[in-house]
Amino acid sequence: MTASAEPASLTRAPTLGAHASAPLGPIKIAARGVSVFYGDKQALFDVSLDIPDKTVTALIGPSGCGKSTFLRTMNRMNDTIPGCRVTGEIEMDGGDINDRKIDPVLLRAQVGMVFQKPNPFPKTIYENVAYGPKIHGLASSKGELDDIVQKALKRAGLWEEVADRLHSPGTGLSGGQQQRLVIARAIAVEPEVILMDEPCSALDPIATAKIEELIDELRERYCIVIVTHSMAQAARVSQRTAFFHMGKLVETGDTEEIFTNPREKRTLDYITGRFG
Amino acid sequence: MTEAPVDMTAAHARSERLKSRLRGRHARETRFKWYGRAAIGFALVFLVILMGSIIMQGRTAFYAHSVTLPVYMDASRIDRAYPQGANFEQIVAEQQVRRLGIQDDASGSKTAAMRALFSSELKFQAAGMIARQPSLLGQTVPVAAPLSDDADLYLKGEITKATPQDQRRISNEQMAWLDRMKASGAIRAHFNSALFTKGDSTQPELAGVLGAVVGSALMLIVTALIAIPVGVGAAVWLEEYSPRNRLTAIIEVNINNLAAVPSIVYGLLGLALFINWMHLPRASPLVGGLVLALMALPTVIIATRSSLKAVPPSIREAALAMGASRTQTVFGHVLPLAMPGVMTGAIIAMAHALGETAPLLLIGMISFVPGVPHALDEPVGALPSLIYIWENASERAFHERTAAAILVLLAFMIVMNAAAILLRRRFERRW
Amino acid sequence: MIWIFLLLLIGFSVLAYFGGRGLAARRSVGMRAHSRPGQHGLYALIWVGVPALAVLAAASIFSAPLERQMLAAGAPDSVTQLEPFRREAFFSDARRVGEGLEAQQIWPAPYAEELPAEGRRAHSISSALNWGGGVAAVIAAILGGLFVFIRIRPDLRARNRVESWISVVLFACSAVAVLTTLGIIFSLVWDSLRFFNAVPITEFLFGTKWSPQMAIRADQIGSSGAFGAVPLFAGTFLIMMIAMMVAGPIGLFSAIYLSEYAGRHTRSVVKPLLEVLAGVPTVVYGFFAALTVGPAFRVFFNNIGAMLVGGPLDGIGQYLLLVQNQMALVAGAVMGIMLIPFVSSLSDDIMNAVPQALRDGSYAMGATKSETVKRVLLPAALPGIAGAFLLAISRAIGETMIVTMAAGLAAKLTLNPLDTVTTVTVQIVTLLTGDQEFNSPKTLAAFGLGLTLFVVTLLLNIVAMRIVQTYREQYD
Repeated sequence: MTASAEPASLTRAPTLGAHASAPLGPIKIAARGVSVFYGDKQALFDVSLDIPDKTVTALIGPSGCGKSTFLRTMNRMNDTIPGCRVTGEIEMDGGDINDRKIDPVLLRAQVGMVFQKPNPFPKTIYENVAYGPKIHGLASSKGELDDIVQKALKRAGLWEEVADRLHSPGTGLSGGQQQRLVIARAIAVEPEVILMDEPCSALDPIATAKIEELIDELRERYCIVIVTHSMAQAARVSQRTAFFHMGKLVETGDTEEIFTNPREKRTLDYITGRFG
Repeated sequence: MTEAPVDMTAAHARSERLKSRLRGRHARETRFKWYGRAAIGFALVFLVILMGSIIMQGRTAFYAHSVTLPVYMDASRIDRAYPQGANFEQIVAEQQVRRLGIQDDASGSKTAAMRALFSSELKFQAAGMIARQPSLLGQTVPVAAPLSDDADLYLKGEITKATPQDQRRISNEQMAWLDRMKASGAIRAHFNSALFTKGDSTQPELAGVLGAVVGSALMLIVTALIAIPVGVGAAVWLEEYSPRNRLTAIIEVNINNLAAVPSIVYGLLGLALFINWMHLPRASPLVGGLVLALMALPTVIIATRSSLKAVPPSIREAALAMGASRTQTVFGHVLPLAMPGVMTGAIIAMAHALGETAPLLLIGMISFVPGVPHALDEPVGALPSLIYIWENASERAFHERTAAAILVLLAFMIVMNAAAILLRRRFERRW
Repeated sequence: MIWIFLLLLIGFSVLAYFGGRGLAARRSVGMRAHSRPGQHGLYALIWVGVPALAVLAAASIFSAPLERQMLAAGAPDSVTQLEPFRREAFFSDARRVGEGLEAQQIWPAPYAEELPAEGRRAHSISSALNWGGGVAAVIAAILGGLFVFIRIRPDLRARNRVESWISVVLFACSAVAVLTTLGIIFSLVWDSLRFFNAVPITEFLFGTKWSPQMAIRADQIGSSGAFGAVPLFAGTFLIMMIAMMVAGPIGLFSAIYLSEYAGRHTRSVVKPLLEVLAGVPTVVYGFFAALTVGPAFRVFFNNIGAMLVGGPLDGIGQYLLLVQNQMALVAGAVMGIMLIPFVSSLSDDIMNAVPQALRDGSYAMGATKSETVKRVLLPAALPGIAGAFLLAISRAIGETMIVTMAAGLAAKLTLNPLDTVTTVTVQIVTLLTGDQEFNSPKTLAAFGLGLTLFVVTLLLNIVAMRIVQTYREQYD
């Protein structure tokens, strides 16, 4: 990059967030050579990536590049799609997630997921949050369950707003509140990892800001991986960033590095808006 | 919002808790899956049992036994000019009794027992032979005729010595005679063509489904001629022409409700309107076809509408943009493209109409109709009502024939449904 | 007779088409016409054919009652004094004699003499009406033709006229559906009102004795008519409950399995097989119930009864020995099996309407499939499934052939599935297929029952469809 081109191109790159350079935790999930096939079509090519704990890792890239597919390998949601095949290793806590012997039911209690469009169940707010603990048998009494629900709602930043209407339907909340409800639902089973698939793309800017603030708080307790198509959001919220393109992992690194001094040309082109 | 970091023992306890519940949860999952499989299995097993039982009960109806006896045409007892008046049944029975070397008693009970073994058709066969060739008088000619229904049942194994003699219709003695005649070759089994070439009869051995098949066919023609044009027309109007207002919504709700009205109510409508008020002939294919057409109409309308909906709007827009009128667009472009779906729906609606019974009973198709119909305004029988009538008949031989008639009905329905499916596969376009 | 005029009419219409087309071509030589000659031809065809067809149709509908009236009006006194049923038979024989056929009955002295004259009169009346109708149709056709002849010009918007006719015809086709409903309501209500004149509606709806015998003669003793339909309602209800207890769980579970568990291959095999089960005519189910299931159940219960007799449950044993073929259990069980594909396919549609996002949310929480179904999907789909069950109930109530062949005629007020009961639909069939005199309360009772059946199933259907629609709208 010539000196004259550098400032002009980088002025179009997104601004980094204040916590972009927070210290990273130990590696929580290590993916090695992961490929995903839908029938005969290959969607992910040999991805190897380390996800550190107590950190927000952002997966960015143009649409169709495989970032959501990779996200879903980490809680084996691809198993629910008929004809989907995953090869490679994904190590967490010393074992390979993909191993046949690992029970996906248990795994998903450790690795929670938040989806693009908020999907609260057509139940009360209380019942939504209590869903996970109930099926996994995490509470042995009603009092315990109440505590779990309250704790989760507090951590999701929703408690004050709904404490007096816990038994009203979850679908009656606003979009941003619903998404926080879904996050509370995921937190209630005390996962170690939270996966988020474009959690703010269906929300307005104010709700988005609230969710991003929440993500920063949650970072202290959980390992968070977030897929986002907004580079500005990735720059604001994450400490590590991985850039995907056409099913391949192009570059990964500290967020600060990726957005100020990327190594790959493709990465630079993407973050300055030349494509995608 | 900071809290103390989660300590390791709590995490471990939680993990143990999760694992302990796991076995129960997976067991419940497996049980649940098996409930689903059991439900489907039950339904399919029932289907097999249903079909199997009907085939087992009906297969014996497809063959029948006939007897060929040499009959001496005694000129002293047969009037050359009026052979039908002769008591052939008695003549043949007496001769056969003598032939088998049986000693009859004063009241002629053995001859009477022998008579009971042959169908009344014997009389008509013999009389017909004499009428056609009077020169046969005085000669011995072989006459062939079916056995009576009870004799036929015995030879098929349906009447056995297991039942006490006073509770069955063939005595031990008659069984012995039949065995002898079979052994001597006078009796042979053959394909029961009467089942397919004759109309209904009070004698089971002479009863066939042809009359009912033709009756059903005539009715279905009337039904198709009315239900398909009117149904397609209504669907075209609703889908392409109608303004989307209250009136249209009412008509749509109306059609959906008509599709769910019990069939017997249509029978009552037919009785009150077509027979009592318009005085159309009872049990005629005309009335039957009209009633079935009203029943099939909602189905045709709904199927046509969904075929029309499946044609993409771009086709209509392209035609309209060329300056075609709405009618030209619909009839020249949309309807031809929707035709495969329309025809499939129409054939399936006709197949359903073929199997309807309740309305036919109410418009009079419950009485005995002999022979084969050939007009639209005389009383006919239909296959489903024939099945109902035969099921209620007291002669045991009708039991196997009812099952056979059911197989004929099912065969027609399978053919029609297969045709509809083939049509759909061959011509369906996926947009 | 009518057919000849119909053929004439068709011929005229075809002539009109070609004539109109030719005329239009000639009259627009050298000028630009609005519509093509063929469209003018169609216009001519419509104006010649449709009025004439309408006249012909009116003639055939109204000639029968008119003929009846005229025949009755001029009949000799001895015939008019016959009671209605015999009078009808006499007139019907008069018509036969008039056409050269033999009378179906032998008539005693005074009537037999009148027969030939009445026969001639009947013949002349019907000929007059037929010819009159036909001639009127021909006149209508000619008038139509004249009208068109004047109108065919280059600036006639024939295509638009023809197309408006076409859309009117199409609208009329849709109107047939409405007319059918009106026809059903009208015919049921009309005859039911006549029934309720003879039998008070409170006795019908609330009476508990059903014994529809009417005195043949006014002075006949020993046959009273009791038209209390409550035992029929009870029988219908009992059989419906048994049917739903079979069809509900089995249909629902098979739908759940097919929509959540089964692979594409399994679905492609099982669904058509279930369709086959759905396509079997109900008369076949009735045959199976009456001649296979009934005896099998009876033998089963009799055997259990034989085992129990002499022991502590002797009373039950004795009862079971007397159980008949025609138990409500038989009809209900077979009807339930018939309803399985219906419940299954409706429930399948309902379950598929639940958005995938809910399933994903539940699986991502670590729930198993059965937990997802039981805790998320079924509660979400509940209104739709309730609607499906209501539709199945409506079907069960209206079902005729299975119960006619497998249930009995004894009107008993009971909830015991081993008892013989009768239903509303069985009684409708029995009342109308026995010996009939059309105006006796006995046959009119069938219409009263029919009206009740129609109203109940209509209400169930409307409620069910409304529920399902609301449910669907929630997820669109």
